[in-house]
Amino acid sequence: MPETVIDVSNLVKSYSDLRAVDGISFSIKRGEVFSLLGPNGAGKTTTVEILEGVRNRTSGDVRVLNEDPEKSRTLTFKLGILPQDFSFIYNSTPKEALTFYKHTLRASGDIQEILEMVELGDKATTPFQKLSGGQKQKLGLALSLVNDPEVLFLDEPTSGLDPRARRNIWNVIKTLKERGKSILLTTHYLEEAELLADRVAIMNKGKIIDSGTPMEIVERHHEDDNLIIRGDGQVEKDLAEGGFQFERDGSYIKLRLKNIRDATSIINYLSEHKTKFEDFTLKRESLEDVFIRMVGEIEEDETE
Amino acid sequence: MKLSRVSAYFSLHARSYLRSRSALFFQIAFPIILILLFGAIFSGSSYSPSTLVIQNESPSSVSWGVVDAINSSGLFKVQLIPQNENLSNYIAANSVQAALLIPSNFTSNLYSGGLGFVVLKGHTNPTVASADYQTLNGILTQINFRASNTTQKLVLSSQVAIGNTGKTIDYYVPGLIGFTVLSTMFNMVYTVPNYRRERLFRQLSFSGLTKSEWITANMLFSFLMLVLSDVILVAIGIYVFGASLTLNVETILTSALIIFGGLFFFTSVGILAGLVSDNEETVSVVGNLVMFPMMFLSGVFFPLTFAPAYLVTISKFLPLTYFINSLISVLDYGNISTVAIQIVWLLLGSAILFAIAVKLFSWKQK
Repeated sequence: MPETVIDVSNLVKSYSDLRAVDGISFSIKRGEVFSLLGPNGAGKTTTVEILEGVRNRTSGDVRVLNEDPEKSRTLTFKLGILPQDFSFIYNSTPKEALTFYKHTLRASGDIQEILEMVELGDKATTPFQKLSGGQKQKLGLALSLVNDPEVLFLDEPTSGLDPRARRNIWNVIKTLKERGKSILLTTHYLEEAELLADRVAIMNKGKIIDSGTPMEIVERHHEDDNLIIRGDGQVEKDLAEGGFQFERDGSYIKLRLKNIRDATSIINYLSEHKTKFEDFTLKRESLEDVFIRMVGEIEEDETE
Repeated sequence: MKLSRVSAYFSLHARSYLRSRSALFFQIAFPIILILLFGAIFSGSSYSPSTLVIQNESPSSVSWGVVDAINSSGLFKVQLIPQNENLSNYIAANSVQAALLIPSNFTSNLYSGGLGFVVLKGHTNPTVASADYQTLNGILTQINFRASNTTQKLVLSSQVAIGNTGKTIDYYVPGLIGFTVLSTMFNMVYTVPNYRRERLFRQLSFSGLTKSEWITANMLFSFLMLVLSDVILVAIGIYVFGASLTLNVETILTSALIIFGGLFFFTSVGILAGLVSDNEETVSVVGNLVMFPMMFLSGVFFPLTFAPAYLVTISKFLPLTYFINSLISVLDYGNISTVAIQIVWLLLGSAILFAIAVKLFSWKQK
């Protein structure tokens, strides 16, 4: 069984009356990509900063690589950290920043190789303030890799990036995953978590409201699947004759499925009646659909 | 504390700093501009007499004799206005700095054995008025001696006592060195809240760098830049304006020690001031609140000898005063022994303040 690299038990962080993190527990195994999901203000960043050792906790127990981040002086050397809103010293170049990290962390990595890995090779001597948002974020990622860390904390690594830059960073994270790194990823892009994370935990208002693999969470919380058919009035007429319930949405006809296998019988029914339709798609709920409903339900409950 | 990490940050900081034109301007060019300005203003040897408007309402050989005496003294450029002109209106209309009225009863009073009063008027500022009054009084005293056929027995000979050559620039070189050291405090007042706002301390902590290492690297770099800018200041003072400073191994090393102590002190003050500033507005207020009183009340730009007593008292509570006085003693007079105690206090105070600043300065997120 893989070793536990991060262990969080009953973690609480309070600011006077506000409990930003409210008694959460989770653990991460070596080589696992674990994602904390949640809306803004859910407590993700506070949790990550406590694990990084830059913020003190109110109560609870936290172990990162068997050390308490609040007390350890050596943990920094084993971690790679890309914080939210990464920033660096004005006028410094990526090459200088990495050289500085290499010296202070006593690392042996090849700077040019790391810059190439994050696709910043041609920007090695560009001052920080002249880098684009995506390039700055890549520099932050590059800095987190200088010491070839065992555990990486990536706090919203693709926030505010264009789709291409986001995919570049996803590729780097996939490579790190292949190399067996343990990664704690926070994001509010559900698609990102679904693609990269082995397990996710959904946080809202300081609490973890569910955790598991993305598939498990979707299975637990999804509602009906939908069959979407594009067709004319004849399709509607035939479906009505067959006793199927449906809704018209523009040029689409949407049928709710209690069971995903019902889709086969509907398509077979239309084929037997020689009903012409343009195409059809089967739409399952994504992690995002489930997440929005879960977080929304909690908000509604509180409103009531 | 690891020297390798101090050196790594020193290198990173130096490279980014040297690319910043504004930082270089304020560290190197600004003090040079100041010494060139002060040097040019105060190094002039030729005296330019001020204009004195005279209205003689009592024309006589005596009154014209007084006018001649003032004119021939070379201390004023005399400009006569007619008797029928309203002197007060003339002063207001022409922004006259100083005007002398010889009243209509001047001659008759003298001939009847009384006193011949003349009146000094003007739209002038108090300092200029006082200087003009003293000068005119001197001229009139000489006329009195001549009129009574007596000679002046007691003569006060004046000689400026600052420095070996008595040049004002000798005073300004240590003062401007004080200014460069004070500006390191301003750097910190701005850097600490800026780094906090940009979360750069958090980022630097991920590199394994500690706050003590960060402060040390900053101070070493500041010291190097101070040495560079102060060497330039001294060179300009000596070679451009002929300043006469006592430069030998002892005074140079002592000055370096004073500068280092001052750097420690003002960096610590800067960190503490930076800690209470959490946005751009308060940074500016706190920075100016700390810097400006020191800049003007510690003798950086002018001596406080003629300042009101309460300002002199305030200046005694400002550390920069002792810093500049120590530098003046060492660089102008070569006098190390009399300021040795001051230097020890400066270093001791710096060490205590530095320890407090390091203790209160946290990289952790609140």
